[in-house]
Amino acid sequence: MSKILQSLPLTIVAGIVLTIIMVIATHQLENMNQSGVEKTMSDLQKKMN
Amino acid sequence: MEDFLLFFVRYLHVLCGVMWIGILWYFNFVQIPSMSKIPDDQKPAISKVIAPEALFWFRWGAAGTVLFGLILAYMNGYIHEAFTLQRPDIGFGMWMGLIMAFNVWFIIWPAQKIALGLVEADASAKPAAGRRAMLFSRTNTLLSIPMLFSMISAQNATGF
Repeated sequence: MSKILQSLPLTIVAGIVLTIIMVIATHQLENMNQSGVEKTMSDLQKKMN
Repeated sequence: MEDFLLFFVRYLHVLCGVMWIGILWYFNFVQIPSMSKIPDDQKPAISKVIAPEALFWFRWGAAGTVLFGLILAYMNGYIHEAFTLQRPDIGFGMWMGLIMAFNVWFIIWPAQKIALGLVEADASAKPAAGRRAMLFSRTNTLLSIPMLFSMISAQNATGF
C-alpha cells in the first residue's frame, strides 16, 4: 500500500478504482435497502389482510 | 427563509471544502514533488513559512467542511440514513470525509508539527514523522477522488 501512496500517479489510479468500487457498492446497497422496504410493505399488507 | 439557510450552509460547506481539498492537492501535486528540486538553503522558506501557514488553513478548512456538512445533512433530514448507509450515495462520501478530517487533525497535523520543528522532538523522529504525514496526506488525496464523486453525484446525478 505504501508503494502506491509514494507514487502520485498510482495514488490517482487507486482513487479512480476505489470510485468504481464505491459506485458498484452503492448500487448493491440501494438494491438491498429497497428490497428491505418492499419486504416491510409486503409484511404490512399481509397483516392487514 | 429555510431555503436560503439551506443554501447558505451548503455554500459555507463548499467554501471550506475548496479551502481544504485545494491545499491538500497543493501539498500533493505541487509542494511534495517540488521539494527535491529546491536548493537546501531555500528549503526553510517552505518548511518555516509556507507550510505552517498552509497547514493552518488546511486543518481549519477540514474542520469547517465537516461542521457545515453535518449541519447540512441534519437540516436535509438524511444524517442518520447517511451514517448508517441507508443512503449510500451520500453516506460513502460522508464517511470518507470524516476519515480524511480525522487524518488531518490527529495524524497529519501532529506529525507535521514534529517534521517541521514546530514542537520539541528528537532529530531522529523528524524523518519518520515527515514520512507518516506524507503517507496520510496521500491517503487523503486517494480518498478525495471517490469522496468528491459521492458528494457531487448525490447532489446532481441521481442515476449513480
